[in-house]
Amino acid sequence: MELFTLFIIDAWFAWIPAVGFAMVFNVPRKMLIYCAIGGAFAHSLRFLLMTSGVPIEGATFLASSAMGFLGLYWSRKHLIPRPVFTVASVIPMIPGGFAFTTVIGLMELNSSGYSPEIMAIITENGLRTLFILSALSFGLALPSILIYRGRPIV
Amino acid sequence: MVLSREEQIELTRIAIKAGQILLQHGAESRLVEQTTQRIGIALGASSIELSVSSDAIVLTSLFGEDCVTTTRRCYDRGINMQMVCEVQRICLMLEKKLLDISQVKERLNRLKPYKYNRYLVIFMIGLSCSSFSHFFGGDWQVYLTTFFASSIAMFFRQELAARHHNPFVIFAISAFSATSIASLGVFFEFGEKPQIAMAASVLLLVPGFPFINAVSDVLKGYINTGIARWVFATLLTISVSFGIVISMLLTGVSGWIH
Repeated sequence: MELFTLFIIDAWFAWIPAVGFAMVFNVPRKMLIYCAIGGAFAHSLRFLLMTSGVPIEGATFLASSAMGFLGLYWSRKHLIPRPVFTVASVIPMIPGGFAFTTVIGLMELNSSGYSPEIMAIITENGLRTLFILSALSFGLALPSILIYRGRPIV
Repeated sequence: MVLSREEQIELTRIAIKAGQILLQHGAESRLVEQTTQRIGIALGASSIELSVSSDAIVLTSLFGEDCVTTTRRCYDRGINMQMVCEVQRICLMLEKKLLDISQVKERLNRLKPYKYNRYLVIFMIGLSCSSFSHFFGGDWQVYLTTFFASSIAMFFRQELAARHHNPFVIFAISAFSATSIASLGVFFEFGEKPQIAMAASVLLLVPGFPFINAVSDVLKGYINTGIARWVFATLLTISVSFGIVISMLLTGVSGWIH
């Protein structure tokens, strides 16, 4: 029951950034509801996977490939290109904090000289950014890489 | 189907116009190539060959013995999914023979990017970054700080973008303002862990769309555009970090690396 409450709270807070960023990308108004559903679905799925012990990269990959297939269904239903739904939906999972920590760490390394602690922060955050980002895009692209290959989806 | 020379030139111009709109508004390379080819073939060409790079398109239409080649520069107009949807719809209607060549041309020329009300966007982005602060474990005071810091940063971003400043300058100044406002929360010890607000309020500046487009371009075989988009997104990240670091140096409040 405790887990279920956390799951609902996670889904609630995930739809807000999905819609917010969808508006920055000027997603058509009728499609915003799908971005909201997708954002809540993808982030709460990742939350569930992570609480059951899957590392963040694997959980991100599974969540974003689920989102890729959901986007495939919606895109064929509404005849709209997939990135319109999928990119906004995975925005809550983008490793922005890790990316900024990496670059700020590099600047710190430059200004205050080499130290193993800062180097550790840079390496850990940098690798995490790289792997989460690759997992996200690879997951989203999975339907067109495996099923559709050269053919158009809509 | 027989095409005269003039008709082939007209077809080439229409196809490249569609590709240009798609590339300028942030579509991935494969979508640009596929849609342009479908429009050209639906209008009667035997094949359409195109080379997509990060800021230009070269397109050749083939029909019988004739080739017509043309080039368009594609300046970045900002990500606009509504324009991508409209071009896709025109392509589908053309393939179902609901439009003829003059209607396609007229519709492509008539497309105007739709923009949401800017204050609504500011409000939603404020709420979005506050939601990120919740994910990082912040309480309601941190939520409030993040809301104000990121809304004001989004306001600066829109104002500077409307004045056509360089994107790197826009991102650095917005990051500077977000971090400076969020550091007030640390200064007045507003909430349990006020540093969270400093980390969450700059997340509106993460170039998520360029990064995802970059990786999917490379995955689908468009290495050139993929690398160009990756470099652009990385430089944006660096300029955001630059803004954050300058603000932390001036205020003396550190939210990232202690």
